[in-house]
Amino acid sequence: MIETRNLTKKFNDFTAVDHLNLRIETGEFFGFLGPNGAGKSTTISMMSTVLLPTEGEILIDGKPLNRKDSIGKRKLSVITQEYSMRQDMTMEEVMEYQGRLYFMPKKLRREKTEELFAFAGLEEYRHRIVRHLSGGMKRKLMICRGLMIDPEIMLLDEPTAGMDAISRRQMWNLIRKMRTSGITIFLTTHYIDEAQALCDRVALIDQGKLNVVDTPDNLIHALGKYAVDETDDEMLKTHYFRDRESAIAYLSQTNEDTVMRNSTLEDVFVERIGKKLLKK
Amino acid sequence: MGIITILWEKWAEFKRDFYKITIAAMISPLMYLVIFGMGIQTTSHGEPYLNFLIPGIVAMSSMTGSFSAVAQNMSVQRLYEKALDQVMVSPTPLWQFILGQIIGGSLRGLYAGTIILLLTMPIHTGLIFNGWSFLIMFLNGTVFSTMALVLSFLAKSYTDAPRFTSYIITPMSFLCNTFFSTDQMPGGFRQVVSALPLSQASDMIRSISTGVAPDISGYFILLAYLVVFSAIAVVFIYKKKNL
Repeated sequence: MIETRNLTKKFNDFTAVDHLNLRIETGEFFGFLGPNGAGKSTTISMMSTVLLPTEGEILIDGKPLNRKDSIGKRKLSVITQEYSMRQDMTMEEVMEYQGRLYFMPKKLRREKTEELFAFAGLEEYRHRIVRHLSGGMKRKLMICRGLMIDPEIMLLDEPTAGMDAISRRQMWNLIRKMRTSGITIFLTTHYIDEAQALCDRVALIDQGKLNVVDTPDNLIHALGKYAVDETDDEMLKTHYFRDRESAIAYLSQTNEDTVMRNSTLEDVFVERIGKKLLKK
Repeated sequence: MGIITILWEKWAEFKRDFYKITIAAMISPLMYLVIFGMGIQTTSHGEPYLNFLIPGIVAMSSMTGSFSAVAQNMSVQRLYEKALDQVMVSPTPLWQFILGQIIGGSLRGLYAGTIILLLTMPIHTGLIFNGWSFLIMFLNGTVFSTMALVLSFLAKSYTDAPRFTSYIITPMSFLCNTFFSTDQMPGGFRQVVSALPLSQASDMIRSISTGVAPDISGYFILLAYLVVFSAIAVVFIYKKKNL
């Protein structure tokens, strides 16, 4: 279980994360969504102790996490938005280094490397230098590195950032496989449809402040399960309805180009956060 | 032990860049030896100038070898590759990471100094280099590795590493007992420069090379630098809010 209590991070006068209170249960797949600059990566950096909070604390299984806490950190694995690894190492060396940093015995390091390279389809590239890998392969390597240590908690910060559609799909398949292994997953992503499909609960964050936390279904239900997109010459307007009948009744009254569909988590995101940004 | 992990990482880097590291460690010192020691042939205190120069160049090489091994590497890892994040989040105690960096950097300094000793062996200067010389090279390397760690934690961009070299390492190379004795400097300035770690290391290695026991205070001065910089590095890695 991972918990943040009044977690706050300030950079001079700018407050990146503002009194964030979250509680992620063991085995939960938790999505952390927000626009660019909302404070998602800063939160993950604090959870991985790279940044220290200005105020508040992070608890792992009830115990405060800090840079000295080797027991708490042993449970954590982080996949950052950037390719945070030695660019001059080979793939095999990256895995070896990770295993050594987590005090894994030699035999286990070798076995896990083989297993994970097979899992991610990277066996034939093991001697390739990281600098010479494609973005997609670097991301896969980061997933392998993250899983090397059998973590209890996985922090994934935009794991598909900068990937093409095929690589992204492969990556989501890898993350789906992780979901079945009982790891607690904390995910930030801009691919809200994936978050809707994968996450048990999601939190929306805006300007460092928590907007809402709930299951995707509850958030969609609260907005209205049915959406009618109405297009006029200038822009798209979406109307939400709790039941199908109301949506159909609205459709029958309007002369504009209209389409009825199921509401999505992206609609929730746009309504709760996007509209504020658009007004600015 | 986490120290072994960091030494393994340094060893992997050394093996990979062996030729680059070796050539880089040789070029500048060789130029100084050729130009000042052999090209401009002078004497110092009745001895060939080369006899004065070689111990200074050995000390200087151990300084630049260890400093560059840590400063450039850590700045790039922290600011460009973000590879330090991998260490920060791992259960490896961070003091072990610091110690591993210091030892790894010092070994690189020792390697650079040893290369110069090997290159100057055919000259038959009659200079003496023994275990104490290597100990001083290593100790000098620990001071500059630790200094490099502290500076790399302060760096705001990875281009700061070469700047630190320009501001600190280059002036020390020329002033601190390498090419001429600090005794020739004016009063107050002499005392400041003499107290710098490279001045001490050069002086001690030079004393040993002429068969004279070095001033024991030099060891304590180097150890004092090591303790101060290590303490700063440890405070930074545990307490610095934005690493």
